[in-house]
Amino acid sequence: MTAVITKDKKVTHNNKGNSKVISSTKVDRKDAKLALAHIMVAFIALFVGGLCGLLQVLVRSGQFKLPFGIGYYQVLTVHGVLLGLILTTYFILGFQTAAVSRTAGALSNKQRKTGWVGFWIMTIGMLAAATMVLLNEASVLYTFYAPLQAHWIYYLGLTLVVVGSWIVGLAQSLRYIQWRKENKGQTSPLLSFMVVVNNLMWFVATLGVAAEVLFQLLPWSLGFIERIDVLLTRTLFWYFGHALVYFWLLPAYMVWYAIVPKIVGGKIFSDALARLSFMLFLLFSIPVGVHHQLTEPGIDGFWKFVQVVLTFFVVIPSLLTAFSMFATFELRGRELGAKGVFGWFKNLPWNDVRFLLPFIGMVAFIPGGAGGLVNASYQMNQLIHNTIWVTGHFHLTVATTVVLTFFGTAYWLIPHLTGRKLTKKMNNLGIVSGILWSVGMVIMSGAMHIAGLFGAPRRSEYSTYGGSEQATEWISYQVAQAVGGTILFIAILFIIGIVVNLLWFAPKGEEEFPIAEVAEGAEKTPALLENFKVWGVILVALILIAYTIPLIDIVQNSPLGSKGYKFW
Amino acid sequence: MANHKKSDENLKGTLYATFGLGIFIIIVWALCFNLFIDRF
Ligand code: HEM
Ligand SMILES: [Cu+2]
Repeated sequence: MTAVITKDKKVTHNNKGNSKVISSTKVDRKDAKLALAHIMVAFIALFVGGLCGLLQVLVRSGQFKLPFGIGYYQVLTVHGVLLGLILTTYFILGFQTAAVSRTAGALSNKQRKTGWVGFWIMTIGMLAAATMVLLNEASVLYTFYAPLQAHWIYYLGLTLVVVGSWIVGLAQSLRYIQWRKENKGQTSPLLSFMVVVNNLMWFVATLGVAAEVLFQLLPWSLGFIERIDVLLTRTLFWYFGHALVYFWLLPAYMVWYAIVPKIVGGKIFSDALARLSFMLFLLFSIPVGVHHQLTEPGIDGFWKFVQVVLTFFVVIPSLLTAFSMFATFELRGRELGAKGVFGWFKNLPWNDVRFLLPFIGMVAFIPGGAGGLVNASYQMNQLIHNTIWVTGHFHLTVATTVVLTFFGTAYWLIPHLTGRKLTKKMNNLGIVSGILWSVGMVIMSGAMHIAGLFGAPRRSEYSTYGGSEQATEWISYQVAQAVGGTILFIAILFIIGIVVNLLWFAPKGEEEFPIAEVAEGAEKTPALLENFKVWGVILVALILIAYTIPLIDIVQNSPLGSKGYKFW
Repeated sequence: MANHKKSDENLKGTLYATFGLGIFIIIVWALCFNLFIDRF
């Protein structure tokens, strides 16, 4: 304990007067405030969005009607935006700020101010967009597909969220660049490196959606142009949309690679492997968006095929990650004396919520990933396209793998930032929250997958479809979804309770920010893995190959375009 | 240093687990493919 404290005090002052903590084991106090602001917004979004999820499953079961003339799509828009966009982006940026401050050192005053500017731009944008949804002017779901037309303030608000996120990401990346300058020739801290990879991917990907909004949706909703090219908007959206899912996932991988090994008492299996897999995710997250448009006319089959092939490359870094996790666990288990091929499994810290929740997340990613490969298989996509299977799929990937990892992280990160402790009681409640989530999700997502294979559509409220025989098959699964969804909502109540405790009520103390070390026998990390120029050039080349000709085709053969519609 | 390999550095379980993962993915895919062939 004393060793830790003296280490914390190693503070030097550079000539600008900013204090700079060297080899800190803690997040700087001021950076902690910035991180906490983001994390609080994330959990407010979880509560409100979760409530909407509950309403959706109840409505879809056929046993409940929305009161006060609230529309189903209004609720679904709130759910998608708050959980898919706000919860994720805010938690990620908060976590990343803390991770950079912990591993590269405290942000400079300028960098921190930049972070706050980004936070407020995002928050103003979010409030503006939320207002339009509440006024029922923007029930266009979180994908805002044309020709549905929302109020322009909704589009502008979401644009501000993206622009703000760029600024927060910039602040984090500047701190990494500063570290590289101050430590020439050395391998950078793994977490900071991963943060920068994720921010770079986010920036390149969001250029697509920014172009969609600025050049098409905004002028169209403002009445400057009458018609827009629907296929072009969708193509630009999905250029961004697939990378969005990796923007969610990579921070979870940061926790798995760099933090979970420490929690289990082990080491990072290989630093080089971790960096390589991040660079591969960077490459294969963007030039693949067309796999969401496989049933769409207007894109040539050849280019769909090219992007499907690029999509399947993501298997490589995914299995690298799985291998690396198994190896960390096995090495640690054997160190503790485990025997037999799988004996090490028993030696993992099952009653530590910081481990258990990310671990459940890893397990959920096995069926999640397998389902994803079905979705991405060009012809087989017809089997599940626009069915509730897809909803079942991403409630495993983002709404279990990603968020359970985030919750397991929040349970130690929040007290670390507030100077409190995760008590045994909160740890145990956290375990309950994870188990409830798993049970609820197995039921809800399982029922969604099966009903989807029977053809049940997604994005639909309760309907008997005029007494159709096929539609009656779906109803029992919708009731099952309501049961699972209700259990999930109870889990959310537990989570909010724990977070409130950790923010304001838990006993004062010091909670560790765990960072793992690299295993002794591991090879030195090749400098190439940190050469952003090389990977950037490959990335741009892949994007140009995958998108240039399809985009030229779309623009050259563009039809008259569509006016805006408001069906709600 | 050259001989840092300790007796507990055994990654058999990791190898089998990763293979198991691959096999699971292939099975799920094959089942869905079967459904696809039946229907389309
Ligand atoms: C109480 C927990 C939850 C319940 C009961 C729930 C339920 C649902 C249901 C029933 C739908 C589909 C409705 C339809 O297609 O008509 C849906 C969609 C969705 N959910 Fe959840 N969900 C929950 C938590 C989450 C979480 C934690 C996330 C993300 C982190 C999430 C993200 C989404 C997204 C992005 C959609 C798609 C919205 C759209 O199609 O526009 N959900 N949810
Ligand atoms: Cu995708």
